[in-house]
Amino acid sequence: MPKVSVWASFLLVAALAICSGASAQESPAGQRPAQGNQPAANPGQQGTRRGPAPPVQGPAHDPHDLTGIWNARRGYGGDTYTGGTPEFTSWGEDQFKKAKSSNGGQYTLQETNDPVITKCYPPGVPRIYLQPFPLQIVQTPKEAIILYEYDHTVRHIFADGRKHPEDLTATYMGDSIGRWDGDTFVVDTVGFNDKSWLDRAGRPHSDQLHVVERFQRMNQNDLEIDVTMEDAKALAKPWNAHIGFQLRPDWTIQEQVCADNGDFVSFEK
Amino acid sequence: MRNKLILALISVGILGILSGPAFAHHGAAAYDMSKSITVTGTVTDFQFVNPHVLIAMDAKDPSGKVEKWQGELTSPNHLARAGWTKSTLKPGDQVTLIGGPAKSGSPTMWIRKIEKDGQEVSLGGGGDN
Repeated sequence: MPKVSVWASFLLVAALAICSGASAQESPAGQRPAQGNQPAANPGQQGTRRGPAPPVQGPAHDPHDLTGIWNARRGYGGDTYTGGTPEFTSWGEDQFKKAKSSNGGQYTLQETNDPVITKCYPPGVPRIYLQPFPLQIVQTPKEAIILYEYDHTVRHIFADGRKHPEDLTATYMGDSIGRWDGDTFVVDTVGFNDKSWLDRAGRPHSDQLHVVERFQRMNQNDLEIDVTMEDAKALAKPWNAHIGFQLRPDWTIQEQVCADNGDFVSFEK
Repeated sequence: MRNKLILALISVGILGILSGPAFAHHGAAAYDMSKSITVTGTVTDFQFVNPHVLIAMDAKDPSGKVEKWQGELTSPNHLARAGWTKSTLKPGDQVTLIGGPAKSGSPTMWIRKIEKDGQEVSLGGGGDN
């Protein structure tokens, strides 16, 4: 190789190393470095779970403090999660074909069979994150409470070391227990009924659904939730999904009532 | 300008780029969001209600005939965060609505932009839901 090429290669490598080092030192002293570029402890989502992390700004944050009002980074739109699409069992595929979602524009409100829209059923987990409204997380020593603006939906995530009760009664939002794994709050939820969809597009689940959510507060302003859905009846293999949230310190959780839909006369004709 | 209160229908195919997967209003099927229409007129009713805010108005077509138009907006919760209240619009206000027309051809639209007295009123990012 000609010398000039060797020197050019050396200088390029050196320049990249310097740039890399410089960016790693940009976080002010006393702050946690930006961790958003690092995948969570969830091998199935590496490389697909999110884009580059936003820059770390503002005061240092406590990664174990999830409190605050959060809104999905995507804004108010979206009928499913970022990441891959699920692989269904034959049963799941059949159920998905029966779904008539109005959220993606295919069916009108008169035609949809979306249980959330037609019956005001609670959206279930994790679909509740796709309802286009913010949520508030409250933490106590024994539990994390999530107050979703959508239809006053509330979840209690018990973090006092308890196990799931035996012989659970099936519910829309399931039974949730949480624990800290390093700086990740891992929430395990079982005990679902089969009356809700996994997303707003109509992807189905059964009463065998098992959801694991991994909450990571990346910095003062950004919360990432990685979700793994397992359902031997509906899904051929676990479905990994992701939703990113931004802190909205100036917002409040308002009233939002699904029952109002029944009185609403849309202009959609 | 005699066209000040005319009904102006402008179909713009390139607006398809604005719809697509991000558009997930829960009744999107009723509106053609690949097109955009502009309607100017006088507000006759403003309902700041859940789940969607509604505007009714009178607009004149080029012959001067009054046509009753209706526009649908996002949730009042989203608009409240953008500074709206139940008094943001009142009967008699002059507004211009820009949005996707009803596929049925009825004089209704999903509003993506609104101007009051010539000034845009922010929807706070809630134009698509």
